[in-house]
Order: sequence, then C-alpha cells, then structure tokens
Amino acid sequence: MSAEADSTAHVATRVYKPAMGAGWWTRKRHYFLYMVREFTALPMAAWLLWFLIEIQRSGSVRTFRPGTSTAFVIFSFICLLFALYHSITFLSLAGVIIHAKVLDRPVPPRAIVLTMFGLWFVASIVIGAVLIGFGR
Amino acid sequence: MTEKTELAPKVALGHLFWWFMFANGGGLAALVLPVHILVQGVLGPLGIVPVVDRHYDTWISILGNPIVKLYLLVLIALPFFHFAHRLRYLLVDLGVPAAKRAPAQVLFYGGAVVVTLVAVWVLLTTAPISLG
Repeated sequence: MSAEADSTAHVATRVYKPAMGAGWWTRKRHYFLYMVREFTALPMAAWLLWFLIEIQRSGSVRTFRPGTSTAFVIFSFICLLFALYHSITFLSLAGVIIHAKVLDRPVPPRAIVLTMFGLWFVASIVIGAVLIGFGR
Repeated sequence: MTEKTELAPKVALGHLFWWFMFANGGGLAALVLPVHILVQGVLGPLGIVPVVDRHYDTWISILGNPIVKLYLLVLIALPFFHFAHRLRYLLVDLGVPAAKRAPAQVLFYGGAVVVTLVAVWVLLTTAPISLG
C-alpha cells in the first residue's frame, strides 16, 4: 500500500467505543474493589470535614463539643475501615509508582512497598503517642 | 541563510501541579489519617485512652502552636486534592460523562481550594498563635 493510500485509510478509520453500562463494576469482584478504592475518598473527606468543624468549635469553651455519641463512634469506625483500605491499596502501589536508585542500582519495588508500610507504622506510632501523650 | 528554529519543550506546569497534589494528598491520607480516626474518632470517644482533643484547655493550647496549625492545615487540605480527583473519576466510572467536562473540574478542584481556604481561616481564627 502506498503512503498516500495508507494515510487515507487512517483518516477513514473510526474508533469503536463500546458503551458501558453504569453497573459494569458489579460484574467482577476486581472491578468492585476498584470502585470501593475510588469511593474511600468520600468517608475520609467526611471525617476530615467533621474534624475541621470540631477545630472551629474549639474557638470558645461554649461551643466546644468533642464527639462522644455512639453515632459518632460508628461513623468514625466506618471511616476508619475505608481509610485503612485506602492506605493498603495506595501504599501497595508505591513499588509501581516510585522509581528510586541507591548507588546507581534501582531499588526493587518490593523494598519500596515495605519501606512505605514501615513508614506508615512509624508515623502511626508517633502520631498516636502525641495524641494520647498530650491527653489527660 | 538557513536558520534552524527549535521549539523548546513546553513543561505542563498545570498538569504537574495537580498530579503533585493528587499523589501527595493520597500519600499523606494513607500514612497519617487512619491513626487520627482511630485515636480521635474511636478510642478517645469510647474513653479507652486519654486524647488531646477531649479537654478544652489542653486542646486550645495545642491548637495555638504554629507547627500544629501548619500540620493540621496540610493534614486537612492536601488530601482534598486527592479526594477531588478520586470522586470526579468515580462519577465518570459510574457513567456520568459530565464529570469529565470543565465545569465538573472547576467544581471538584475548586472545592478542594475552598476547603483549603476555610481551613486556613479556621486555624488562624480559632486559637491565638502561641509559641509557649
């Protein structure tokens, strides 16, 4: 085929885009878990907004009301489950996303993932110790 | 006379900025958010451990520290740039094509900017800055 004919054929080509129904993600477990991963943003955002409101209410002793109700604990527990799922899926991908070299040698992806999980553990211990240590 | 004109490669700064915010927001949320929710949202309210935000005097004095203010600003604001992207694409995946368009981008990423500005305002007006 000549170059001109090849070019004409290219212009005439139409890309087939199969239409996907809104429920495509319910067909396979893997798709469902992908959507759960995307959804984790919503409960985490809700919890952080609550936290921001709590900080704002701390401006005065009259408005200061730390959450103590059963509903708040249940809400936080549900948010915690989604936050943990986000952490596990996000940090597991670190080996694919981060490319680092030590002494001109690439660090194996598994080592990067283990480092990230180690960092998560250390950060959790330090922040937990500060939040509890300054409490009374 | 022949002059060779070369186009300098254009850096996609906007793209770079939003991906930086998305990746770091997701990373920060992954590393530090679960322990905040566990301690401040579950263990503290249940009375299992003493937590810094349970008593007014303790909490307000901690909130006055500028390093704490900066940490809380990053903790609250940065993940929202990650959430904005995730939620926009969640809608795309659920079959809402409008979520791909410019108004949706303004709504979601603009929302993250608004949360950031509100967080700055709350942190600056809630407790006076104190180095003590």
